[in-house]
Amino acid sequence: MIDVNHLSKDYLLKKKAPGLKGALKGLIHPQFEVIHAVRDLSFHIDEGEIVGFIGPNGAGKSTTIKMMSGILTPTEGSVRINGENITEHRKTVVRNIGVVFGQRSQLNWDLRLGETFELLKHIYEIDPIDYENTLEVMDGILGIRELIDKPVRQMSLGQRVKGDLTASMLHSPSVLFLDEPTIGLDVSSKFALRRFIKEINQIRKTTVILTTHDLGDIKELCERLIIINHGVMMEDGKLSQIVDRIAPYKTLVAEYYDEQAPEHEKCEMTFHEGNIAKYRFMKKDITAAELIADLSRQKEIKDVSIEEAGIDDIIKIAYGSGSIL
Amino acid sequence: MKKYLYIIKTQIIKSMTYEFNVYGNIVMQTIIMITSSYFWKALYRNQNSAAGVNAEDMLTYIIMSSVLSVLLITNVERRIEQSVGKGTVATDMMKPVNLFGVYFAEDIGSILALVFQNMLPILLIGSLLIKVPVMKDSGDLPLFLLSVLLSFLINWLIAALFGMIAFTAVNISALIQVKKHLIRLLSGSIIPIWFFPESVSKVLSALPFIYIYQLPLSIYIGRGSRAEHLAQLQIQFVWLLILAGVFVAVQRQVTRKVMVQGG
Ligand SMILES: Nc1ncnc2c1ncn2[C@@H]1O[C@H](COP(=O)(O)OP(=O)(O)OP(=O)(O)O)[C@@H](O)[C@H]1O
Ligand SMILES: [Mg+2]
Repeated sequence: MIDVNHLSKDYLLKKKAPGLKGALKGLIHPQFEVIHAVRDLSFHIDEGEIVGFIGPNGAGKSTTIKMMSGILTPTEGSVRINGENITEHRKTVVRNIGVVFGQRSQLNWDLRLGETFELLKHIYEIDPIDYENTLEVMDGILGIRELIDKPVRQMSLGQRVKGDLTASMLHSPSVLFLDEPTIGLDVSSKFALRRFIKEINQIRKTTVILTTHDLGDIKELCERLIIINHGVMMEDGKLSQIVDRIAPYKTLVAEYYDEQAPEHEKCEMTFHEGNIAKYRFMKKDITAAELIADLSRQKEIKDVSIEEAGIDDIIKIAYGSGSIL
Repeated sequence: MKKYLYIIKTQIIKSMTYEFNVYGNIVMQTIIMITSSYFWKALYRNQNSAAGVNAEDMLTYIIMSSVLSVLLITNVERRIEQSVGKGTVATDMMKPVNLFGVYFAEDIGSILALVFQNMLPILLIGSLLIKVPVMKDSGDLPLFLLSVLLSFLINWLIAALFGMIAFTAVNISALIQVKKHLIRLLSGSIIPIWFFPESVSKVLSALPFIYIYQLPLSIYIGRGSRAEHLAQLQIQFVWLLILAGVFVAVQRQVTRKVMVQGG
């Protein structure tokens, strides 16, 4: 479905020196700085997948999405959708693609939502029956019909996102790119959006590629994750596989009757405060049952619980330096 | 083609429903017509004709100049500036339409709406307060309409080229105003350049602007012979070709820049 081959993007950034002198200098002798936003990404996405692109700010997620959707020309490498190179056959490939950017609406500010849809219907030469069908489906998922007569400039952010999602689906694209679609949405709008992604994926077999900083989105939606940092691919695989590979540990939380907590040679105590102690252990070194048995032999335990390494942990590891999303 | 017709239709609806600033221009044009009618009447007090034009013709000229100015209202500069500012150019370029074709269709739609909201009222006010601006020789009508069409296209291309400055990340709002007034001045729309000193008028003749206002208006008031008009129409047409060529080249450049630099 989608083949990304050695994809790279460099941005040329004009260096601006401060002051009038600097501005003049920049006019005559512009100095450029090269930013390697994306470096040598290769991966394959099958039809019907939902893939989450994650990485810290400035990792190159949006840049990758823009190249995959034909908005940006890659510096090197290629993107093929259904075998067609998107740079070479942009006009045709693009008809099969929908794109939504959470931060910038593509709706026409001066029109009513329905007028924007009608305009798109004509621009993409959408069959009237297909058009009505899509609106019907979108109404079922997002309740779009009640917004149709609203001028776009009067709509709330959440309503606009719904409008943008519907607009992106009108021409029935087989691939949908969503760049931070949940940004700024409240909990119920977020749920609506997640339901939207799941349903179009199920009903229409739409392949969805999304970037997000919301762990909930990832847990709810993405069977597959691609983690990038500094434009380089860090991980690619199922969430559970990535966890097993880069965070193959669990954490045992034990509560004792006093502040004395025993150590164990096969695990590391990562936390000890008051009566609570946390032990991080590798699955291959020891089982949870053995650990509990060993510890309780040394000291009586009041309560235990086990924490699986989750997405938070792999993100901390993959992003390096413990940066938070 | 059908797509663009639909864009025109949508724009007409939009102009009819959302734009309320149409009266400002009527007032403004009325003021321009009245003050310049006093100006010309004063100037012609002691003479029947100047530069081959009499007072009556000059009054027709200024009314038709205001009427024509409505056709020459463009929004493409602001459209480009806004979509560059909002960062939607790149995604707009992905749609299966030509971006500048869309802007053109939108301007056509706005102007069609303005014909009723603006042009007819201005014509009516001019006729009531100054005089009925009848054409000198109705046999010139086809030539007049042709030159108005070319004038419209030249004016639009200049506006679009101007708007593309926005891609170099300069704030062009103030420039848009300067350009608007400069064109009205340099195009002979308020004072025909045949009243200017010869050196100035020579320079202005070598620029495309007089083909926006002065040529169609001269045909309308019958200044000059048909042969002269035809010769000037040819120059007007050449200007259109030159500007279209520059436009295509710049547009290609700009599109590439957006695709490479990300807008
Ligand atoms: N148009 C541009 N011109 C120059 N540099 C750019 C441009 N767009 C992005 N960059 C730079 O490229 C790098 C990657 O940016 P990108 O927007 O792809 O990151 P991101 O992963 O989407 O980040 P975020 O999570 O903040 O959205 C950043 O260093 C950014 O400053
Ligand atoms: Mg981004």
